[in-house]
Order: sequence, then structure tokens, then C-alpha cells
Amino acid sequence: MAHGNDRSGFYRVKLILAGIIFVLGVYPWLAPPVYFISFAFNVLTYITLATSWNIIGGYTGYLSFGHVAFFGIGAYATAVLGARLDLGPALVILASLPAGVVSALVAVVIGYPCLRLRGPYFAVITLCFAFVTEITVRNLDFLGGADGLWIKGLAMPIETSRSIFFELMLVLTVVCLSSAQWIETSRFGAGLRAIREDEEVAQTMAINTPKLKIIAFAASAFFPGVAGGIYACYLTYIHPDIVFDVNISILIVLMALFGGGASWVGPLVGATLLTFVNEGLSTFVKAEFARIIYGCLFIIVIIFMPNGIVEFLKNVIVKRRLRTKFVKNKSSNLLS
Amino acid sequence: MNLTLTLQSLISGIMMGAVYALLGIGFSLTWGVMRVINVSHATFGLLSAFVSYSLFKTFGIDPIASLVLTLPAMFGLGCIIYWLLINPITRAKAVIVSSMILTFGIAIILENLILLMWGADPRLLTTSYTNKVYVIGPLYFQYPRLLGFVMALVGVSAVQFFLKRTLTGKAVRAAWQQPEASQLCGINLKKISMITFGVAIACSGAGGVGMAMLYSFEPHSHNLWLIYLFLVVIVGGVGNILGAAAGGMIIGIITGLSMAFMPYQWVNLLTFGLLMVILVLRPQGLFQSEV
Repeated sequence: MAHGNDRSGFYRVKLILAGIIFVLGVYPWLAPPVYFISFAFNVLTYITLATSWNIIGGYTGYLSFGHVAFFGIGAYATAVLGARLDLGPALVILASLPAGVVSALVAVVIGYPCLRLRGPYFAVITLCFAFVTEITVRNLDFLGGADGLWIKGLAMPIETSRSIFFELMLVLTVVCLSSAQWIETSRFGAGLRAIREDEEVAQTMAINTPKLKIIAFAASAFFPGVAGGIYACYLTYIHPDIVFDVNISILIVLMALFGGGASWVGPLVGATLLTFVNEGLSTFVKAEFARIIYGCLFIIVIIFMPNGIVEFLKNVIVKRRLRTKFVKNKSSNLLS
Repeated sequence: MNLTLTLQSLISGIMMGAVYALLGIGFSLTWGVMRVINVSHATFGLLSAFVSYSLFKTFGIDPIASLVLTLPAMFGLGCIIYWLLINPITRAKAVIVSSMILTFGIAIILENLILLMWGADPRLLTTSYTNKVYVIGPLYFQYPRLLGFVMALVGVSAVQFFLKRTLTGKAVRAAWQQPEASQLCGINLKKISMITFGVAIACSGAGGVGMAMLYSFEPHSHNLWLIYLFLVVIVGGVGNILGAAAGGMIIGIITGLSMAFMPYQWVNLLTFGLLMVILVLRPQGLFQSEV
């Protein structure tokens, strides 16, 4: 039955997910063309970014338009750590973990004043924060300035090194998704949802909203930081134009809201779908037309599926199920 | 400090600021009245700049004169956009968020339409008076800036007049203060919102032409313009027309002075930093919001 045995359904979903992760893990060693590995890497990066954005944007309802700043800070922190400590190519990748911590710390410092603002004000101030970090990095000479920074790459054939980075990103994505899923079911997540629904009421219910918001912001900055570190090692070259691109910031928001911000499934589906659509469009259509279609997509989603595509599909399925059930019962009544 | 240089940059700052204000009032209006943050506001301005550029290049119509054509067209475009796209989402719970994403989609579409029609080259609106200057003592008044300033003055006063003195404008303010109660008084909320949106887009059209006379522009310019819009509106207070005008002047003066006395690459840092500080300290704007 559809909802007779919830527990077994839950395990089935887990089994399917484990299967997908396993297939993805094996995938790069089946020697597909490098392009496909890179593409899959990009998909995973966006899934990580959108999912971590969703912790502050979707669950808590604070739309951060500056998440690319944390991505860039992670990338630069990794590069600088690697260069200062003179780490070998293999160890530089490990530097992405402290880089994530740096991102989270920056988020705490920035979040303290900014998280008092709500709605569009928070969106604008985070966007400004992204611009400010970008301009600062661009004009600081020890960060390479406008020339960018080089990172030692792995001395391996490109297929192997890309596969390794793919695996690392896969691990990060899985960790990020499971943390998001854990947050969703935890007390902490319930507090965040309370903030989204009504912050004043949440406060009167003795929820320490400033603390929860800061923790959520730091958590949602940590994963982009680590992802930025891995991305930097993967590219072996970073430049403010690449890792601080505001379009990434906006894209993350759109991906998460496209899928639906209420659960961890939304950003996952949204990021995957949009990356595929983007790639497909830009391969087959002229770039301008591709972006026009892209823009139309946002309009359609906002007007017809305001809660995201996942919620929309769920509703459609539930309705169909109800209808078949109803019709079946009716016919059996008639027969008896 | 060099007094003449200071005065000079002060004056040009005020003139630039007036144009920012003209671009910003419409943005402030939609945000305040309809709770719609129109991220594509600057893109409409850019569209109007490109249209008047083409009118000027092919028919030789002066950009200011072409406003007679472009402003009604922009008003109509605004009404259509409102009817087709904005109206369906105004009943949603999170209007602000959905409107930002929806209008972001509109901005992408418009930007790429502009790219398709005009190409990616930066343009300059060079009219016969672009290089003319008025000289008073040691101070220079460039003609295009003066014109932009006058245009902005006229535009802002016209919108202020519309809101304070005309019946429709009063209905707009009523709809803004009490959406439900205004409907009880026989105000057609949808129609009023449509008119507001149309007026806002027309203002952005005028502002876009003003910006085009000051700076070179290309299909991506609207991103930077948008930041100025946010600055102007947040400094002036959301929905406050005169506040936005004053905000525009302040921003203009600050950018004018910082361009004269700071290394170029740090100017934008100052702008964004300023916006962040204002947001943290006084999110309601420097001037108390008045209706």
C-alpha cells in the first residue's frame, strides 16, 4: 500500500540513495570522457552550494545573496594556506577543511550585525558583502590581486586527478546533504523553521533566535568554504572573476528555490535539474536564447510552482493517487 | 585640499546624484506600494537608453525629445508586465522574495534581448552638445550633466505632484497605507497597482536616458545601476520619493568626491561599504519614512 508501511518505505529510500551514491562513486573509474567527469563535478558543486545555502535561506528564511563570498573565501584560504605552509599538492586539498572553518568564522563575524536585518535588507547586505570581499581580494597584492593565484596541481594524468577531485566533492556533497537532512529533523531545525514562520513568536517561545541564526549562517558558510577549497585545487588557478562571480550567488538561490526550500530534496533536485538544463541549452542553442529560456523558467516556476518543483510534483502525485483510490472505491461500491 | 576641485566634484556629484534619484524613485515606489522589489527596474532603464540611442542614430531624434515617444511606451510596457507577470504573484505569502526572483527572470530576458538586438559593444550617446561646457568662474558645468539634472528635477517633481495632488496619486498612496480599507472606499487595487508599476517603469525609462547621457552603457550595465538603485532607496527610505531624491544627491556627492580623491578601484568598495553600514545602523533610511 502507498502509506501502509512508512518504515519500510524509509529504508527503501535510503537503499536507493546508497545505490545512487555507490554508482556515482564508481562512475569516474569506468573511464568516461573527461568532459563528463568535469560536468558531474560541477553538478555536485552546485548541489553542495545550494543545499548549504538552504540551511539559512530555505529553513530559516534569510535569503543570502552573497554565498559566493564564502565559496571564494574558502578557495583563497586554501590557496594561501597551501602557499604559506608550503604544502605538497596532496596536502593542499586537506587545507580546504580549515578553509571551511575560516568561511564559517567570517560568517559569524558578518552574521552578527547582518542577521538583525530581515527580508530584502538581508538580501541586499549579503550581496554587498560579496561585492566588498571581491573588491578587497582583487586589490590585495598578497592574494595575487587581479592576476589570481596558482595552486600546485597533482602530478597525474588529468583523468585520474579529476576523478580524485570528483570523489572528494562527492564525499562533501553526501556529508552536506546528510547534515541538511539531520538539521531538518532535529530540534535545531525546528527552531529555524519557527524563525522562518514568525520570528517574534519564536522569541516568545524562548527560542534563542540570534544564536540559532548565527549557527545556521555559520553552518551554511562552512560547506561552501570547503567546496571552494576543493574547487580551487581542481582548477589549480583561482581568480576573483571565477570564485567571486556574483552569478554563482544568484544561481545558488535560484536552484534552491527552484527545487523548493522546505526540505533537503529541493536544492538537490533544483541544482541537478538547472545544471543539466543550463548545460543542455548552452550546447544546443545560442547563448542569448539559452539565457532567455532560463529567465522564462524562473518566471514559470515562481508563478505556477511557488513552493518549488518538488512540492509541485508531490501535489500532482498525491492528487492522482487520491483520484485513483476514490474511483476504485466507487466502482467497488457499485459492484457490491 | 584643493577648493576648486572639491567644489567641482561636489557639483558634478549632485548632478549625477539627481539622475540616480530619477532612476531610483520608481524602484522606491514599487517597493513601497506593492511590496514588489523590481530587480529588473534598471534593465528597463537600460532598454529605454538603447531605444533612444537607436532613435538618435537612425532618425537623429534628440534623446530628450525622444522621451515623448519612449515614456508612454515604457508606461504601457510596465502595465503589460504588471498584468501578465506581477499580478499573479501579489497574493503569494512571500511577495518580496518571489517578486525578486520573478523580476530577476525578467532582467535576464531583457538583458539578452538587448544583447541580441544591439550587440555587446559599449555605447556612448554622443549628441551635438555632449562636449559643450558652461563656465562660471573656475567651475565647469557640462551640458549633458546639466540636462540630466534638469530632467531629474522635472521628473521627481512630476512624480511628487502626481502622488500629492492628483486623485490617482492619492489613490496610490491610499492603496499603500491601507490596501484593504482603500478597496472599501472604491479604489480598484489592481488598476492602481498597474498604474503605479507603469509610472515606475516610465521613471526608470527617463532615468535610463539620463544615465546614458552621463556614462557609456552596455547590455550588462544594469547590474551596477541596480546597486545604485538599492543605495538610493535604502538611504532615502523605502517608498519615500523626496527621500530617494535626497538619497540620490548624497550618493552622487559621495561618489563624486571619492572619485576625485581616491584611487579608482576603491570607489566601489566605499559605495558598498557605505550601503552595508547604513543598512546595519539605519535600515529605515536616513530620513524617517513619510507618506
